[in-house]
Amino acid sequence: MNQFNRPLSGFAPSAPTAPPSAALDAMQTRFALRIAAGLTERSLDLGADVNERLRFAREKALERARARRSAEATTPLGATLGGAALLGRFSSGWGMKLASVLPAFALIAGLLLIQRWQDNAQIAVAAEVDAALLSDDLPPNAYSDAGFAEFLKTPSE
Amino acid sequence: MASDKELSDFLKSVDKRAFKRALYAVRDEDAALDIVQDTMIRLSEKYADRPPAELPLLFQRILTNATMDWFRRQKVRNAVVRNFSDFESPGSDAEFDILETLEALGGSLATESSADTASRAQILLSIEAEVARLPGRQREAFLLRYWEELDVAETAAAMGCSEGSVKTHCSRAVHALSTALKAKGISL
Repeated sequence: MNQFNRPLSGFAPSAPTAPPSAALDAMQTRFALRIAAGLTERSLDLGADVNERLRFAREKALERARARRSAEATTPLGATLGGAALLGRFSSGWGMKLASVLPAFALIAGLLLIQRWQDNAQIAVAAEVDAALLSDDLPPNAYSDAGFAEFLKTPSE
Repeated sequence: MASDKELSDFLKSVDKRAFKRALYAVRDEDAALDIVQDTMIRLSEKYADRPPAELPLLFQRILTNATMDWFRRQKVRNAVVRNFSDFESPGSDAEFDILETLEALGGSLATESSADTASRAQILLSIEAEVARLPGRQREAFLLRYWEELDVAETAAAMGCSEGSVKTHCSRAVHALSTALKAKGISL
């Protein structure tokens, strides 16, 4: 008589006298484990093709794991956040978060500085042009220009 | 961090059961093998640096997700998804025909009359057929809990549900299996 033929007394959905909960749990577990043992036995007989495919899958997975490890080993220690964490600079979770946000802040600050520098440069160029115009000699034919004549008639504020 | 050997030993220890689990769910041998390979690669790429003790739960979780991904892809491709709703909705009792496959492997289960006359192979075949016949979530809970030997909390984590749901699924699965096997004259 094999293990599957041994009766599991008392375990049946329609048993006339229901066993206590703990005993029922134990019987349920025993039954389930016998089923699992049967499944394990069946799973050992998968056929050569399937076993070969599984072996190939395992090897491929191990290759990937090795590639990942070697990639991590060749990455400069300080160049990654992980490296920074190893160096003790950002050992806490908050430190890591801060470290990941810092480049964004640096970028925004840089952009603002560039914009301000460009504004100043434009103002400086405009001021230079205005100064050159105002300090230059007035050409005589300017007086023949109706718009300039009008400007001269306008009282200065 | 799991060494190469530890990772290799772990994969060897789970690959057959993982294949069967995927096969019960998708009922396509090639798809099941692809799912297992995908699961192994995801584990190796993302979690190879974890301690060996963490690998079983991570593996089961990834396998569950990879199986769900397969169903989603099938749905997108408008392929035949006979048991997707079964897999997604807990407690559903959708029927499917695993018997065709099993008959091809080892004769008709319908001709089995009792455990006394059935061979051990036939009994195992019947057990497997009944496990495959369980609704998806029940089967998932049953296999993780009793075949993969995860505890209730780990099973719940792998399935993404509550511990109470795991207990309910397991209990229903055990009762369904008991009833079905009894009806075939197999008592465990």
